Amino acid sequence: MDVLQPLRNSLQKRHEIAGNWKSRNQSVVGWTCTYTPEEVIYAAGALPVMVWGDLGDTKLADAYMPSNSCSFSRSCFNAALRGDYDYLDAFVESNSCDNRGKTYDMYVNYSKIPNIYFINTPLTNTEKARQFFYQEVVKFKEWLEHTFKKQISDESLINAVRVYNENRTLLKKIYDLKLKRPPLISGVEFLEIALSSLVMPKEEHNKLLNQFLIHVENRGDLPKEGVRLLVSGSVMDNTELVRLIESVGGNVVADDWCTGSRYFWNLVDLDGEPLKAIAWRYLDKIPSSFMYQREQRFRHVTELAKRFEVEGVVMFVIKYCDTHMFDAPLLRDELKTMGLPVLYLEWEHSMSGFAGLKTRIEAFIEMVGGVK
Amino acid sequence: MIERRLKSTSGFYRNYVKKFYEDAHLAKAEKRPVAWVASTFPIETLQAMDIMPVWPENYASVCAARQISVELCERAEQEGFSRDLCSYSRCVLGSMFGYEKELPEGGLPKPDFLVTATCACDTHLKWFQVASRIFKVPLFLFDVPYNIGGGDSDNLDKAHVEYYVSQLEELFAFLEKQTGKNLDLDRLRETVALSNWTSHLWIEIQNYRKYIPSPMDARDAFSAVFFMLCMPGSQLAVDYYTQLRDEVRERARNGIGVIEDERVRLVWDNLPLWYNLKIFEYLNTLSAVVVAEVFSHTWAGGLDTSKPFESLARKYLPNLANSSVQRRIDIISNLVKDFHANGVILPTNWGCRMMSIGETIVRDAVYKKLGVPSLIIDIDSTDWRVAGEAQVKERFATFLETLRKT
Repeated sequence: MDVLQPLRNSLQKRHEIAGNWKSRNQSVVGWTCTYTPEEVIYAAGALPVMVWGDLGDTKLADAYMPSNSCSFSRSCFNAALRGDYDYLDAFVESNSCDNRGKTYDMYVNYSKIPNIYFINTPLTNTEKARQFFYQEVVKFKEWLEHTFKKQISDESLINAVRVYNENRTLLKKIYDLKLKRPPLISGVEFLEIALSSLVMPKEEHNKLLNQFLIHVENRGDLPKEGVRLLVSGSVMDNTELVRLIESVGGNVVADDWCTGSRYFWNLVDLDGEPLKAIAWRYLDKIPSSFMYQREQRFRHVTELAKRFEVEGVVMFVIKYCDTHMFDAPLLRDELKTMGLPVLYLEWEHSMSGFAGLKTRIEAFIEMVGGVK
Repeated sequence: MIERRLKSTSGFYRNYVKKFYEDAHLAKAEKRPVAWVASTFPIETLQAMDIMPVWPENYASVCAARQISVELCERAEQEGFSRDLCSYSRCVLGSMFGYEKELPEGGLPKPDFLVTATCACDTHLKWFQVASRIFKVPLFLFDVPYNIGGGDSDNLDKAHVEYYVSQLEELFAFLEKQTGKNLDLDRLRETVALSNWTSHLWIEIQNYRKYIPSPMDARDAFSAVFFMLCMPGSQLAVDYYTQLRDEVRERARNGIGVIEDERVRLVWDNLPLWYNLKIFEYLNTLSAVVVAEVFSHTWAGGLDTSKPFESLARKYLPNLANSSVQRRIDIISNLVKDFHANGVILPTNWGCRMMSIGETIVRDAVYKKLGVPSLIIDIDSTDWRVAGEAQVKERFATFLETLRKT
C-alpha cells in the first residue's frame, strides 16, 4: 500500500476539495504569504488555501506584469486570470515583500475575486511592531466577521490554534523521519505532505497525518540512500526541483522554504489573549528573508544542516526575489565556513527550462558524493 | 531648435555635489558622526542631530554619470550579488569591495552607523543589512507601514501615523546613544522649518514649469533635486532654491522656454538614465520637453514646526513607492493636467519591483481619465547593459511621432 496516496490525492485534487467545501455553503479564502494569520480565517469557518501558480507559461499575466517581477507572483496571478481561483470568496494580500505588495493592485484591477484584503505586515518584531501587527490582526478579524457575517469567538480562535498547532507538531514529527539513514521518506514525499497542508482543511489533514505516521514505520519501499542535502529558498509550490535532485542521487532531507519548515516550525503559545498569541507567533517564527531577523533564519539553516547531517546545500532563488538574492552570498559564506559545499541556482519559477539545471545539479551531487 | 540650459544649474555638480562629498570626508576625518541613509528616511532627524548624512543612492548616480557604474555592478556580481538586484545597490556594494581604479570623490566615507526605512523597498533594508555586516556597524530599521489606502499627507490611516511617530522616538533614542548627544527639540523645529521652506521653494520652481513654453527641463531638475533629498533642512538649500526660483520665474514670465518650438510636453515617472542625461536633449531635438518628473514631486511635503514628529510622518508615509497604485495614478494625472502634458513616460527600472509593477494600471487609468497616452519603456537608471541607447531612442522617437499627430 502506498501510505502517501491519501495526502497526494488531496494535493492533486485541491481545487475539487475547495469546490466541495463551497458546495456546503462554506467560504474559501485564498492567501499568498505565510505571514497571513490563517487561524483567524479558520475560526471564521472558512477554508484558507494558499494561492499557487503552475509550471506552464504566464502569458495572461505577462500582459500586465513586467518581466522583472517575481516569477512566482506572476505565475499565481496568471492562474487567477485563467480562472483557476474563481471559487475564492476572498483573497488576502500583504506588503511582506515588494512583489506581493505591488501585486495587490493587480488583483484589485484585473482579477474577478470579489473581496480582496490587505494586511500590513511589519518587517521586524520589535515591541512597537508587535503592537502594530496585533492591531492589524484585530482589523482582519473584524473584516472577516463583516464579510462573512459571522462572529469569531475566543473559543473558536482557541480551537483553531489547537488544530493548527497539532498540524505543526505532526508535520515536525514527520519531518524528523528524514533524520534516519536512509530517510524514511523522500524529500519529494515530504514536500507533497507539507504542500497538502496548505490547501485542505487542517482537521482532515491532521487525520491523514496521524494515519500516515502509523503506517509509515512499516513501509517496505524506502527511498534509495543518496547524498544528504538541504535546499534553501523562498517558496516552492511544486515538487519538480526536489524530484530532479532526487532523481540524480540526492536525498533532500531538510529545507528552508516558506512552504516547508518555515511554515510549521513554530507553534502559537496560547497564553493570554488568543489574537495576540496568534499575532506574536507570526512575527516571532523562523523568519522569511524579508524580515529584519536575518540571523535567526541563518541559524535555522545551519542548525538544520547539522541536525540532519547534510553533506551539501542547494540554494535555489526564484527570480526575481530581491530579499533572497541579497541574503544569498552571506548565507553561502556562512555555510562554506561550516565546510558545506553550496550550489547556488537562480531560476524562473516556471518549468520551461528546469531540465537545464539537471547537469549542474548532477555535477554538484557527484562532487559532494565524491568527498565522502 | 535652440536649447537653453539654466545658469543656476551650470556647474551644479562641482559647486554642490562634489562639495557635499568633501564635507562628508571632512566630517569623518574630524571624527564627527557619519551615517549612511536611504531615501524616504526622515533625513531631517539626522540634520537636527548634527550627523553627516551620506546617501549611497546619490553616489550610485554619480558613478553612473562617470560611466563606471557597470564596472562597479560587475564587481558586486563577482561577490555573488545577482545581476537582477537594484543597480544602485550593486554599484555601491561594488565600490565597497575594492576597485582598482580611483573612485569618484574618493569613495564613500565609512559610516559610524546606518539608518534605513522600509518606506520605499525591500532593497533599502537588505542592502543596508549587507553594508552593516561588512562595516560591522549598527543599523537602525524604520518599519514603515504600507499606505494601502493610497491617500496623500492629509488622508493617511491614523494607526500608520501613530506607529511612525512612535518609531521616531525610538530613532532619537538610537541616535542619542550613537552620538552621545541629546536631541534639542528647538533645533529639530529649526531643521523642520528649513526643510519646509526648501520644499515650498522647490514646489514654486516646479510650478513655473506649467508655463508654455516650459522654462526648465528634466536635466536641470534631476540635478537640482539633490538638495530636496540630501539636505532639505539646510540654509544652503534655501539659498540655492531662492536663486533658482528667481531665474526660472524670470524665464517663465518672459516666455523663454527650454526649446523654441515646444510641441510635446511630457511627464517623466521614476528615475532617469543617470549615465545618459543627454537623452533629455535628444527629446528636445524632437520638439519635446519634460515638464514634470514624478521624482521631483515625491519628496516635497509641507512640515508643521509645531508638530515636527507628526509632520515628518505625513511627509514620508505617502511616498508613492509605499502606496497602492491609486496614489501614483493621482500624482501622475494631476501632473498631466496641471502641467498641460500630452504624454507620459513610464520607465521601468530593471532591479526595481516597486516602480515597475503597476505601470499598465497607471497607463490605462491616465488614458481613460485624460486621453493622454503613456510609453512603458524598459531601462535601468544605472546599468546601461539593460537597454541600448539606439533602441531607447527609437522607442522615444516612435512614441513622440504618435503624440505629435494627436
